[in-house]
Amino acid sequence: MKNLRSMLRKAALVMTVLLLSLVVFGAYNVSTQGNRWFSSSANTHLRELKANATAGNVYDRMGVLLATTDINGKRVYNPDSNIRRSMVHVLGDRQNNVGYGVEAFMANRLYGFDTSPLVRLTHAIRGEKLKGNDLRLTVDSNLSSRIARLFPKDHKGACVVMNYRTGEVLSLLSFPNFDPDNITEATKQDRNRPFWNNATRWVSAPGSTFKVITLASALQNINNIENETLNCSGIIEFPGGRHNLLDAGKAVHGDISLKQAFTKSCNVVFGSLALRLGDAQLSNTAAAFGIGDYFLFRDFVVENSSYPKHNRTQSEIAWTGVGQSALQISPLHMCMIASSIANGGDMMEPQLLLREINPNNEVKEQFSPRVYKKALSKEHAQIISDYMYGVVQSGTGTGARVKGYRICGKTGSSEIDNQEKSNAWFIGFIDEENYPYAVCVAVMNAGSAGKVAAPLAGEIFKEILGVR
Amino acid sequence: MRKNKKRLNKKRINKNPLVNKLAFTIVLFIFSGFAMLTVKNMDMQTLVISIAVPLIFLMSTTLIPKIFFADKLLLSLVNFLCSLGVLVLYRMDPAKGVNHAINYVVGLITMVVIMLVVKNLSRFRKLFPIIGLFSIAMLALPVVAGKEIGGAKAWIQIGSIGFQPSEVVKIMLVVANAYFLSKKKIFYSMAFTGMCLLLLVLQRDLGTALLYYVVTLVMMFVASGSWALLAGGVIGAGAVAVLGYSLLKRIGFAHLERRLLAWLNPWGNYKDAGYQTVQSLLAIVNGGAFGLGLGAGNASQIPVKETDFIFPFILNEFGMIFGVCLVLIYIIIFLRGIAVAMRCNHRMHSLMAAGCSFFIAFQTFVIIGGNINMLPITGVTLPFVSYGGTSLLSSMGMMGVIQGIASINKRHIMQDELLADIGEGLA
Repeated sequence: MKNLRSMLRKAALVMTVLLLSLVVFGAYNVSTQGNRWFSSSANTHLRELKANATAGNVYDRMGVLLATTDINGKRVYNPDSNIRRSMVHVLGDRQNNVGYGVEAFMANRLYGFDTSPLVRLTHAIRGEKLKGNDLRLTVDSNLSSRIARLFPKDHKGACVVMNYRTGEVLSLLSFPNFDPDNITEATKQDRNRPFWNNATRWVSAPGSTFKVITLASALQNINNIENETLNCSGIIEFPGGRHNLLDAGKAVHGDISLKQAFTKSCNVVFGSLALRLGDAQLSNTAAAFGIGDYFLFRDFVVENSSYPKHNRTQSEIAWTGVGQSALQISPLHMCMIASSIANGGDMMEPQLLLREINPNNEVKEQFSPRVYKKALSKEHAQIISDYMYGVVQSGTGTGARVKGYRICGKTGSSEIDNQEKSNAWFIGFIDEENYPYAVCVAVMNAGSAGKVAAPLAGEIFKEILGVR
Repeated sequence: MRKNKKRLNKKRINKNPLVNKLAFTIVLFIFSGFAMLTVKNMDMQTLVISIAVPLIFLMSTTLIPKIFFADKLLLSLVNFLCSLGVLVLYRMDPAKGVNHAINYVVGLITMVVIMLVVKNLSRFRKLFPIIGLFSIAMLALPVVAGKEIGGAKAWIQIGSIGFQPSEVVKIMLVVANAYFLSKKKIFYSMAFTGMCLLLLVLQRDLGTALLYYVVTLVMMFVASGSWALLAGGVIGAGAVAVLGYSLLKRIGFAHLERRLLAWLNPWGNYKDAGYQTVQSLLAIVNGGAFGLGLGAGNASQIPVKETDFIFPFILNEFGMIFGVCLVLIYIIIFLRGIAVAMRCNHRMHSLMAAGCSFFIAFQTFVIIGGNINMLPITGVTLPFVSYGGTSLLSSMGMMGVIQGIASINKRHIMQDELLADIGEGLA
């Protein structure tokens, strides 16, 4: 009997822990993902819940009113159609066509579902509608609408501008966009999917912009690689010949340094670097930059980026080193990667909320920047930053140059199957104390990055700097 | 000195003002819930049931412990869960609420009957091996003449009454295993449970098979104290699960693969395989911490909300904090049952009480875990709350076993006290 009791005690302890784990698991999941579930398009009840409350106002960082509710309870957006169009993917629309816009994802704050039950009860008794809180966002609506005008017409793509010191997102644009006040049947049927947020939900191979990560991996894992003389024969051949790695325009660079190879975006050197590093080291560095992470940001729902795991032949590894193969990264994440290099290795969590103001005009919550992770060391970040400066000064990214400012960047033209032209990418930043801004542009099916993406980024930098 | 201590002990067991306060609070809760429904529905039936259910609660919680020495705390908590079930089911569908109320009364009667049987267990000693044979026969019935519901063939239809033999056999399984294990006949127990499991797999009722397996394994571990047995059991189950999954899905277990997919990625398949899980999670977050209020919820879309998914429905209207409290109530019921098992003088009594407590606790774990996507959905019911006559009766029956053992324990304590009193008187 004594033995039985002691065994019983142990078994009972385990069962109790199991039952308690239900509470822990549930609480953890609801606190980390509850808001995502709540605002997802699967939640058909959100609209009914919204009908019982009056949403607060949304302002941009300068105080421009982006959305408000009129006396009839209708949601009203900014009168300027350019601002409406450039803000629609951040803000969302009335019918919740855009997934995870502020209007849906921040419904808890905006509709006051997070107010205390006591307040809600008194409102219910008095028969008043619940009044939601106002939100001040980090975005700059005027800058965004100016940038949107620069983007090549009729192209799909995305553009992100963020403050690399704080992670505040100044502009997050997805193309094609649409006017939330004028959604027609044509908008809904459009094959280019204007409702889809390409900046956060579209993941694709980022082309040579990924060489930033290959470079970081080489600096971390190969001793004295900076001073080594590398050779570019113009081709890396693989058995079968179909997946040979070539340089753009069949260029042959000969003996060059790592910096020159980066400046000229030499595929052969970076492909052979990837082979020297091996899949494990390259994927480790990619993981340090957040590729493969399960993103649970407070302010954004971002599609997870991924490093290819299957079919890792030598040719696949070499192609991964130059940003092709099955790599999948979103434009917002590429902007975070550029930011981490600009910010001495610290990757900031992208931030959209500045503060929440309750109906009595008191600040309910002030949001502060948060470091997402340490991506690389300060020394390596400095080296990569210098290399990226070289790209803009004398390499493939000269189109992004702005006279009098230190601009760093990297171009990337990624080849996509069944697509006529390549996707043009550019990541870069302004290396100035007073203008801590990073940019990522991605233009789909547009051609060479040096000709399309870099000049576009240059124009965006000029808008940010106020240079004409 | 010794006498005083014993007296104090007796007082603590029989009159606990805290339990009375608890019972009073529960009645208030249930009554106000039904009062709200009465105001909403404005009909006679609701008024009648809103008085009847609290009355059943009060009478059973006060009378049963007075007559039969039952554990009052355990009884009031179980009564609370049952009447909560009536309340929620009545809010979903009045007809089901009334049915559940009737089942609740029948369940209370079953509990008392089983209590009396267990109390006089020694008289039925010769029946124990027959219980084993009888339960195997019961489980074989649906395999021969079963009716398929929800992918499993576990139902028997006699006229208009349908029932699930695997629910009834739950109690017999615990009793038979307790008998075998108390006699140290571990192989009998293994053979018997193995036979039951085989029949359950043939019925494709894998959720219940899991419950049977785990409870038997725990009982064997407790009785034998052998860690090797436990490890073997866990590893064996894992191997069977992996092997079985690849084999079984070819021979008519198509619903298994869907459930696994729904578990791993419910949001990727939220319109199809993951629909149940996603609706369940949405009901929980839509309710928030404090719930939308009784009758004001929006969880009517959840499939099988009366049985498997009643937990998220309750959370939608009563809130997540209430949900945490529900889990805590199940933990208290479990630990109280274990406390009863600890106080026994007899191995068999102890194993019976422990087996029943583990059964209820593990079933709760499996179903709530399925509701919050911690585990795959297994299609078992939430004890005492879910709709379904057989399931409620079997849970109440298991409670009857625990209560019967508790009353035996109390009889022993009182006999001891009497002896002590006599001894002191003689001295």
